[in-house]
Amino acid sequence: MEGYIKSVVLDTDEILQTYNDNPLDFFKDKKICLFKACLEYYYPGIRTCLKSMLEDFDLQVSTSLEQSCCSGTFLQRNLITRAQFAAINERNIVSINEIADILIVSCNGCYLSLLRGRKFLNSKDIREKTTKILKEFKKDILFSPKLKIVHILDFLHLIREQIGERLKYSLNGLKCAVHYGCHYLNLLLDKKDIHSFIAPKNKLEDILTILGGSIIEYQERDSCCGWGASQNVIHRDEALQITFNKLKSAESAGAELLVTNCPTCLYSLNKFRDDMKDLFGESPQIPAVHINELIGVLMEYECDKYCIERILPLIEELKI
Amino acid sequence: MATKNESKNNWDFFNRIITDVDENWNIIQCISCGKCVGDCPASKISDFNIRKIVEKVLIGDESILKEEDIWYCFLCNKCSKICPKEGINIPLFILSLRNEAFKKGYNIPQLKKYVKMCKRFLENGTVMKESDLPTERIEEIKKICEFARIKYLHKASKKNIGIEE
Repeated sequence: MEGYIKSVVLDTDEILQTYNDNPLDFFKDKKICLFKACLEYYYPGIRTCLKSMLEDFDLQVSTSLEQSCCSGTFLQRNLITRAQFAAINERNIVSINEIADILIVSCNGCYLSLLRGRKFLNSKDIREKTTKILKEFKKDILFSPKLKIVHILDFLHLIREQIGERLKYSLNGLKCAVHYGCHYLNLLLDKKDIHSFIAPKNKLEDILTILGGSIIEYQERDSCCGWGASQNVIHRDEALQITFNKLKSAESAGAELLVTNCPTCLYSLNKFRDDMKDLFGESPQIPAVHINELIGVLMEYECDKYCIERILPLIEELKI
Repeated sequence: MATKNESKNNWDFFNRIITDVDENWNIIQCISCGKCVGDCPASKISDFNIRKIVEKVLIGDESILKEEDIWYCFLCNKCSKICPKEGINIPLFILSLRNEAFKKGYNIPQLKKYVKMCKRFLENGTVMKESDLPTERIEEIKKICEFARIKYLHKASKKNIGIEE
C-alpha cells in the first residue's frame, strides 16, 4: 500500500495479533466517529443501529458536525478536479482527526473516496494543488494522522464473536444472499498485494453465519447493484436491467433476504422495484437490508419504520 | 481521423490522455485479451467495449469522445481487477476520456441530470435535501469548487439558461 493510504487505514490483522481474545478491548480507550454517508438519509437505521451497538459495548461514539459529503459522485462525472476532490476528503479527515481516533465508514463509496483522495496525494502535482487549497483554510495535509479509517465490514468481522454473544434474536437458518458492492470487491488497492487480491472475500457470509443465517450462493453474487456511478440516474432503464438480474438471481436461488454493506447499493436494490414492474413486468419481492440494520433488529435496538418494515416480518418467530 | 490501417498513428490523443493522468500511460500494455469486456456490466446493457475504446485511443481515433459509450461505464473496477496487466486503471482512464469530451463540449446534456445534486452539494455540503453542516464549512466547499464545472452547473440552475432540473 502506498504511503498516504497506508498511514490512514486501520490494520485489523495487527489488532488481532494483540487482542485475539476480545478485539473490542482495542477500541475501549479510543474515540470512534461514524462517517455520515448521504444515502443514510433514506436508511437512518444504518447509523442509528451501529451507534446503539457501539454504545452497548461501552464505546465512545460520535459523528462530526464538520463533515461534508465525500463528493465521489462529482469526481465520477468530472465536475470537480482530482485536487478539489482530494481537498474535500482531506478536509474531512482533518476535522475528524481532531475529535476521533477511529473512523468507521458504512458506505463503500465514501470509503473509496477517502482512500482515493489519499491516493491522489501521491502525485506531486495534485499534492501541491491540494496543499494550496487547504492553506486557504489554515489546514494542511496530514501525512500520518492519528485517525485510522476502517470499513464497516472489516470492523464487524473483527468483533463478530462479540456481536454473536449479544443477540436477542437469531436468523434461525433464514436463507441469506449477500451483496458486497463493486467498490468493496474490486478495490484496486488489493492488487498491490497478491494475498489480499486472490483471497476470497467472504466476511459478510462469516458475520451472517454468526447471526444464524444460512448462506445462499447465487450466480450474480459479485455483480453490480445497478447504481454504477449514478447509471441509475443517467441511463435508468438500462441500468435497472442489472439490478433486476441481480435480485432475480438471488430469488431464484431460494434466498429470503439480501444483505449488503453499502447504503448506495441498498438504495439501488430497494428503490426501483415499481419501475421494474413497469419495465420487466415483474417486481422482485426479496427484501434488501444493510448489515447494520439487520444487527440492530437482531439486538432489539430501536429502528426506523423503513427498517422494521423490511426485516421484522421475517424474524417475528425467531426470538432466542 | 486515423484508422487502424494507416501506417502512421496519431499519438496526440494518447498524449493528451496521459497528460491528464500519468497512470494512463499503462494502457499501452493492453494485450487486447478481452477479459475486461467479459464481465463488464456496461457491456451487458450497451455498446460499451473497453477493449475497443483502448484500441481507438492507441490509434488516435477521437470519435469515441462524441459517442455515448464512455458514459455507460459503471466505474465498478471489475475490468481493472481482472486485467492480467499490473497497472491498467480503467476507471481513471474513462474519467480522463470524459474529461476530454467535456473540454470539447460533447455530451453536455449528460450534465442536466446532475443539476439538483450539484446545487445541494454547493448549498448544503451534501447531496441530500437536509444538512446540518455549519455555514463556514459550506463556504469552504464553495471556495474549493470555485473554478470547477460543478460551479457552472450551479450557476446554470439559478439562471435557468436551458439546463433542466
